[in-house]
Amino acid sequence: MTVAIDIRGVTKVYNPDSKHPVQALDNVSLSIDDNEFFTLLGPSGCGKTTLLRLIAGFEEVSGGEIMLFDEEIENLEPNRRPVNTVFQHYALFPHMTVAQNVGFGLERLKKPKSEIDATVERVLTLVKMMHLGDRRPNQLSGGQQQRVALARALAPSPKVLLLDEPLSALDLKLRQAMREELKQLQKETGITFVFVTHDQEEALAMSDRIAVMSDGEVQQIGGPTDIYEHPVNRFVADFIGDTNFIDGEIVEFNGDLVTCRIGPNSLYEAMNSGGHSVGDKVTLFLRPEKITLAAAGDSNDMQTRPGKVANMVYLGNQAAYTVDMGDGVELTAQARPREDGKLPFGIGDNLVVGFSARALRVLAQ
Amino acid sequence: MNLWLPKTAAGKRWLGLAPSYFVIGIFMLVPMIIMGVFSFLEPNPYGGVKPVGSVAAYVKLFFEYDLEDQLVFNPGYINIIFRSFQLSTGATLLCLIIGFPVAYYITLLPENRRNLYIYLITIPFWTNLLIRTFAWIIILGRGGVIETPLLAAGIIEDSLRMMYTDGAIAIGLTYSYLPLMVLPIYASLEKIDFRLLEAASDLYATRLEVMTKVVIPLCKPGIIAGCILVFIPCLGAFIAPNLLGGGKKLMLGSLVQFQFASARNWPFGAALSMLLLSAVVIMLIFYARSARKRADMEGSG
Repeated sequence: MTVAIDIRGVTKVYNPDSKHPVQALDNVSLSIDDNEFFTLLGPSGCGKTTLLRLIAGFEEVSGGEIMLFDEEIENLEPNRRPVNTVFQHYALFPHMTVAQNVGFGLERLKKPKSEIDATVERVLTLVKMMHLGDRRPNQLSGGQQQRVALARALAPSPKVLLLDEPLSALDLKLRQAMREELKQLQKETGITFVFVTHDQEEALAMSDRIAVMSDGEVQQIGGPTDIYEHPVNRFVADFIGDTNFIDGEIVEFNGDLVTCRIGPNSLYEAMNSGGHSVGDKVTLFLRPEKITLAAAGDSNDMQTRPGKVANMVYLGNQAAYTVDMGDGVELTAQARPREDGKLPFGIGDNLVVGFSARALRVLAQ
Repeated sequence: MNLWLPKTAAGKRWLGLAPSYFVIGIFMLVPMIIMGVFSFLEPNPYGGVKPVGSVAAYVKLFFEYDLEDQLVFNPGYINIIFRSFQLSTGATLLCLIIGFPVAYYITLLPENRRNLYIYLITIPFWTNLLIRTFAWIIILGRGGVIETPLLAAGIIEDSLRMMYTDGAIAIGLTYSYLPLMVLPIYASLEKIDFRLLEAASDLYATRLEVMTKVVIPLCKPGIIAGCILVFIPCLGAFIAPNLLGGGKKLMLGSLVQFQFASARNWPFGAALSMLLLSAVVIMLIFYARSARKRADMEGSG
């Protein structure tokens, strides 16, 4: 597979000569394959947008190399890089019509008029905005502006399309609809998408691969299921979805399972992730949806333990229960309301908590 | 009950605006009417006017009486008007060429520094224009700040004769009104979302194209406002033309001032003023029309 973008040891320091230099990226290396929907995911300030801006050329690298299809681009001006950006707040030119906005890049590339007109029509059709070509950006809704921004960035047929939180300014329904459209668009055009977001749901829904970032470093790169099911560290496990963390100590190895002591005298079986030995302090994690709750007395063939409902948050389609396990461990688990809408358990109820030893995992780091 | 207070919304609005109507009426409308009336009267040889109707002042703009008392076309005043427009246009262009980069530079500064620079730009207004224009005599004149070192270094052998030229007038005018160009341009540049510049360069625009295709079109209202604010006072200016042009190279403003102060031909001065006023009004109408057309075009739907 061809590599579209190869980031090699890229470092970015803001205000390097001042008293308070800010290290935005610290020796980041990653490769993005051609034709891939690649997402940079992380909380604000993690450096994901900085990395995107370095690829686009709006910022200069402090160190390292950026290769675009084997061509070194980190010292080129933005207008010399065959990549285009969809900006967070669209950045449409207010003094131009939709069609002029979309044709801007092609005009700068000195394409013939007939070709520009044809391409503008094609991309506007692609984003379903053909009928609004004569409007000005301020006559459009947020969702429509988003589509124009997308069309404008796609029109010059970039080798890579960079998207900087493009959906964050839209309301929930529209955001969900645009997710599918973006994914569809990426497949249709075959252009490599580099998508920046802090929304883990968005990342999981659209990406071929995700790079989870924090504090200017890449924490983990992998497919959506990989990242969700096999997070390498506490940060990734915590940032993606809801998680229960349990601190413990390894007592004994048993095939691919380990026995961990939690608190003074409680033992839990868990999946090993390798790289540990007996006596190591480790963190175990368990996704709430992997826990089943049953009324006390109901038996279960999984590893079951007694517990008591300490708290409950009603979420409509489900309720999140905080269960006190009696040994110092508190777990968050979910249960669906019954068909008549009543919740299965109330605060103070005694329960049987079940989860597989394969769902309880030891974090690698 | 206050029976005399207006009841309708329109009436109340009118009442609220009444003080400003009053001020505009007293200080602007009335003097203008006086000027208009004076321009159609006969001059009093000792200054002022005689209450006798006459269009002689307007005739004088274009014609003169030759030795045989025949009216013949006299291009003298028309030439002065033409020169005034030329010099004002030149000074406005100079202001634009200098003012735009200055305004652009200030926009790029961090916010706290921006206010300082804007404040610095207005500092010359604290001193009388007459005194500041005198300073240019010292700078440009014979044995002045520019010439003396060049003569001493042997780079030039004779005076550059910079004073009393059109160039000196243009420099004086440019200097006088430069802040009026910088401020409106800065005001509209500051409103531009600088992410648009990134977007343009992302879409393959060179630095020059970012300027010509995005920045300048977006700050056009500021540029036009600045040009009007500079051009109009330039037309009527008389300090710079008198001091730096030596009073020989007349401009419209100095001609008007001369009619009132020295020539004692008030009607002719008033007629010249009316001509100047109508030229300015016509230009402003054109500007207002183009601004409205643009607003219609960009108006929200």
